[in-house]
Amino acid sequence: MRNIDIELTTLSSTHHVEMNPSDAGFQDRYVVQEIIKEMAKNRPIDTKGKKRFKVLVLNEVDKLSREAQHSLRRTMEKYSASCRLILCCNSSSKVTEAIRSRCLNIRINAPREDQIVKVLEFIAKKENLQLPAGFAARVAEKSNRSLRRAILSFETCRVQQYPFTINQVISPMDWEEYVSEIVSDIMKEQSPKRLFQVRGKLYELLIKCIPPEILLKRLLHDLLGKLDAELKHEVCHWAAYYEHRMRLGQKAIFHLEAFIAKFMSIYKAFLIATFG
Amino acid sequence: MSDIRKWFMKSHDKGNGNAKLGKPGSSDSGKTPPAKSQPDKPVHPVQENSARRKTSKYFPAEKQKPKDEIESEEVSTKRKPQKDTEGSLKPPPRKKMHTVEDDDDDDDDFVLPTPNKPSDVTPSKKLKSGSGRGVPKKPVDIEESDDDDHKCAKSPPKSGGRGRGGRGASAAPAGGRGRGGGGRGGFMNFGERKDPPHKGQKEVPEGAPDCLAGLTFVISGTLDSLEREEAEDLIKRHGGRVTGSVSKKTNYLLCDEDIEGRKSAKAKELGTTFLTEDGLFDLIRSSINTKTPVQEKSSRTEKAVPSLTKKTPPKIDPKSVSPQGLASDSRAALKKHQITKPSSLTWTEKYRPKVPNDIIGNQSLVTQLHNWLAHWNEQFLDTGKKSKGKKQTDPSAKKAVLLSGPPGIGKTTSAKVVCKMLGFQAVEVNASDSRGKADSKISKGIGGSNANSIKELVSNESLSVNMDWSKHPKSVLIMDEVDGMSAGDRGGVADLIASIKISKIPIICICNDRYSQKLKSLVNYCLLLNFRKPTKQQMAKRLMHIAQAEGLQVKEIALEELAERVNGDIRLALNQLQYMSLSMSAINYDDVKQRLLSGAKDEDISPFTAVDKLFGFNGGKLRMDERIDLSMSDPDLVPLLIQENYMNYRPLAGGKDDNGIKRMSLIARAAESIADGDIINVQIRRYRQWQLSQASCLASCIIPAALMHGQRETLEQGERNFNRFGGWLGKNSTMGKNFRLLDDLHDHILASRESNSGRESLRVDYLSLLLKRLTDPLRKLPKDEAVAEVVEFMNSYSISQEDFDTMVELSKSKGHPNPLDGIPPAVKSALTRSYNESSRSRMVRAADLVTLPGVKKAPKKRIAAILEPSDDGLGEQNGDALAESEEENSSETEDQEDAANGEKKLQLDLEGLNSKAIKVELDLKGNENSSAKKKPAGRGRGRGGSAATAAKRGGSGSTPAAKRKR
Repeated sequence: MRNIDIELTTLSSTHHVEMNPSDAGFQDRYVVQEIIKEMAKNRPIDTKGKKRFKVLVLNEVDKLSREAQHSLRRTMEKYSASCRLILCCNSSSKVTEAIRSRCLNIRINAPREDQIVKVLEFIAKKENLQLPAGFAARVAEKSNRSLRRAILSFETCRVQQYPFTINQVISPMDWEEYVSEIVSDIMKEQSPKRLFQVRGKLYELLIKCIPPEILLKRLLHDLLGKLDAELKHEVCHWAAYYEHRMRLGQKAIFHLEAFIAKFMSIYKAFLIATFG
Repeated sequence: MSDIRKWFMKSHDKGNGNAKLGKPGSSDSGKTPPAKSQPDKPVHPVQENSARRKTSKYFPAEKQKPKDEIESEEVSTKRKPQKDTEGSLKPPPRKKMHTVEDDDDDDDDFVLPTPNKPSDVTPSKKLKSGSGRGVPKKPVDIEESDDDDHKCAKSPPKSGGRGRGGRGASAAPAGGRGRGGGGRGGFMNFGERKDPPHKGQKEVPEGAPDCLAGLTFVISGTLDSLEREEAEDLIKRHGGRVTGSVSKKTNYLLCDEDIEGRKSAKAKELGTTFLTEDGLFDLIRSSINTKTPVQEKSSRTEKAVPSLTKKTPPKIDPKSVSPQGLASDSRAALKKHQITKPSSLTWTEKYRPKVPNDIIGNQSLVTQLHNWLAHWNEQFLDTGKKSKGKKQTDPSAKKAVLLSGPPGIGKTTSAKVVCKMLGFQAVEVNASDSRGKADSKISKGIGGSNANSIKELVSNESLSVNMDWSKHPKSVLIMDEVDGMSAGDRGGVADLIASIKISKIPIICICNDRYSQKLKSLVNYCLLLNFRKPTKQQMAKRLMHIAQAEGLQVKEIALEELAERVNGDIRLALNQLQYMSLSMSAINYDDVKQRLLSGAKDEDISPFTAVDKLFGFNGGKLRMDERIDLSMSDPDLVPLLIQENYMNYRPLAGGKDDNGIKRMSLIARAAESIADGDIINVQIRRYRQWQLSQASCLASCIIPAALMHGQRETLEQGERNFNRFGGWLGKNSTMGKNFRLLDDLHDHILASRESNSGRESLRVDYLSLLLKRLTDPLRKLPKDEAVAEVVEFMNSYSISQEDFDTMVELSKSKGHPNPLDGIPPAVKSALTRSYNESSRSRMVRAADLVTLPGVKKAPKKRIAAILEPSDDGLGEQNGDALAESEEENSSETEDQEDAANGEKKLQLDLEGLNSKAIKVELDLKGNENSSAKKKPAGRGRGRGGSAATAAKRGGSGSTPAAKRKR
């Protein structure tokens, strides 16, 4: 019998407990098997007997390993009397069929840009900010339809410069800036040397706790912006391929590097075929 | 087939030996062989006779030669055929001769003066003709001709048969090798391309095995078509030496371009001849064209010997009892011979050094050991026991000595030899004896336990001294293989130390690894002598002596190769040598090279060496099992090294590749394979599919290496051209650290209840803004105002000073301005000061890393405290003990947990625990009156569940963060 220490942050209120089991990394299975199960098993203690069940909110379920998801599915059914689970994920495609069929699937769309603009305008009103025309729209556009991002970058702009000007630069996140540097690096030169430098930069981003999936996604996003149309499809394919493998593997850098190497190889061949 | 051939060869030995005994029975021999061979062909008896006739001329002269010499000569004849066949590639002159066809043999035999060399003797002639038939350039033909040779050689009774058999065996591989170089006619020198030499485009010639004997070469710069290693190999194979730097002894400096390096400068100074690669080839080639005849002439005497030996078997045959076939006869005789002569001793025992001077290398250490032993008695016995304590601090006066060094370099031997020389009687205790702790009572006697007898021995010496036997042999205890004192020998080392302390006789300890953990304590009591591997020259010299004493014909160069291969282990070298001597009487460079591939010592290769070999220029030629061995030498580290370095190699597989497309696509394939390896590794580690480990090493090491092996080049300026250590380990641990820091920040921010975002979105989305909010004011606003604002911001998100640093750390990147740039140091310090001032009123931060009073060990993990909303009544405290940060280590709760043992715990339990638990009340001035309670919760499984039940009831909508550990 071995003891494993797992640290997990939970957020709880009278009505619910919220946690992110995938934070435990490859040990997420134990979180599900022990903690969640324990929580689900116990009926809520309530002197008045009013509460019949408790609510568990699990975030980022899509990041749970396969095993953890498997362990979860029995818990979901068996203890449904005393516990209700709310699972949140970014993409249901990474949640196993078994889990999905046990849940009521609700898809929440990202807010549209005009909705974001409305929110930003509302905030500006509350904060007594002068909003130049079109500024909110630009923020919304940059936000990639993420309301949080929009509000945060709106605030960033406010910190940077107020009163706003019409063509004020909406500065990207630090890491996004870095990713686009990488992208322009690999577009400029495809050589082992460059690959080596890029590896260093990827390492740096990973060290700074940027999740590799987001990194890869951003890389692809930036690449697509610069690529010729005929290559886009292929590059997307490879990005998806390596992202999948990254999930199967453990050392993200290997897979990111493989993607970059693949891209360089494709792109170089393409350049030479096209321009000689 | 080749085995049989070897046996045939071998029989010469025997024949030789016997020849000397029953020398002049030429008449005998004349009779028997024909009898046997007649059925086959009528011609051969004649041939045989003629051979005998001719050789008999030399016979008397040869007789006096010591046997081994004869053997050696015989070897050279055996070898010669090889060179001949190899040489057969080109020589037009000989072709003429070969047109004579089959009758050749007989003709030659009869007619002494052949067109080419009138003076040639039969056997050599025959060989020549054999090779002559092999003239066609294709290797297949050659081999066929060998076979032909062999066939016709077989029919003549023994002489020819044996001689050729030997040749055939050795010639076949040699021929294959010779032609490996690729098509002929690659001599055109196109383009002065420097970097990628005309690799493989030139044919590598095969010359007489000894054509470079006695010549010393130094290779400099890039050669035209050969890799450095190939050139070395070529030279060594032909008997030359390759050294690293130019000296007076250097005959040639091999270089294709004058790169004005140190070597060439030195060579010019010394007047060394410069030799191009083509020159070298010519040199080797010419050895066959011109030199062979010469050699043959000069070695005519040698030729004679084999023919003589060939004849001899018949001589004994009649004598030997068995009337069976000749071959089996000679074999039997041979066996007898072998068994009787080398006796039953292995060479390692037989040639174990008898005097210190025989020991190879480490002479100074031996002297040191000698001195130590010689002065031991004066130092430790004469001065009396009382001064011992003082003595021990004196480094020169340790009571024991510890010899350390790799196996097989003569540690035990040195110890024994020195003891013997000084007249000590050595008592050896090694790993085969049980060396556990002695019984406390020595009085119990020696019975059984070895340690007891050691104690006996060690403490008894005084007796003998007292008895004043001047002639009494002083004894020495040799503790061999002390690093093997483990499991079975409980307390062995400690006991040994105790023995050393009380010992009245010198103790010599021997171990392989002196840095071994087990020997740490022992090392302090011993004089340390670290034996080093002898150089290959030293070893070769000694091996040469032994080989000569055993009558084995070996080239020095072959011995050096052997010495190199065994990695300094003399014992192994001797064993190998003896083993080889069983099947052959002459050992060449190639033999060593081929043989020892399989017999190579199972040495510890560092991951770096393994990676070097895998990526090396002939990494493509390694066998699969070798590759697996290499990559398995450290299945964790080697893949990382490979991953780190694979892109540094210019792959040979890429061939000519002007724009680097091939290289890039090879890299992509290698990278993918490495990624495969990672995926497999997950299967192995996470799901314990260890049967996949071969697949993993294939994917993560072998495939990338196979794709990428070639020349290493640097990618960065100033980088040393060696494999880097895998960067992943370091990066991964930094990443882990940063994640922990980020976790802290996340917890704090959650606890502030200003935000409840996930850790990831905190990093990805919030961080930039937070940092801006923290640093911008410091840059823009006046000092006091800025500080106030920032501190207030930090307070509202309960960001601590460390979190601040974390954020800066996480957003810092190479090539970008540090977020703290432009903030005057005065402001920074003001910030720190004001933050610290107000820190007393901040609870979250205060809860970090609290050591709980009453807990024996300091908690290993952080304890997160919880912010309680002010309106929570104290009465509800028990229930809302969500201040449940937990700790794994409170000893008090442990027993309870054990009882609970993973079972779910209910509130009751929890409350029980709570009452026992230590409460840490934090006075929070700044916030109204919330209290953080600390409860050391155990690591029990149920803990998480029980903590959850403790969910807080009172606070409306308050969202306390709890940290849970299991």
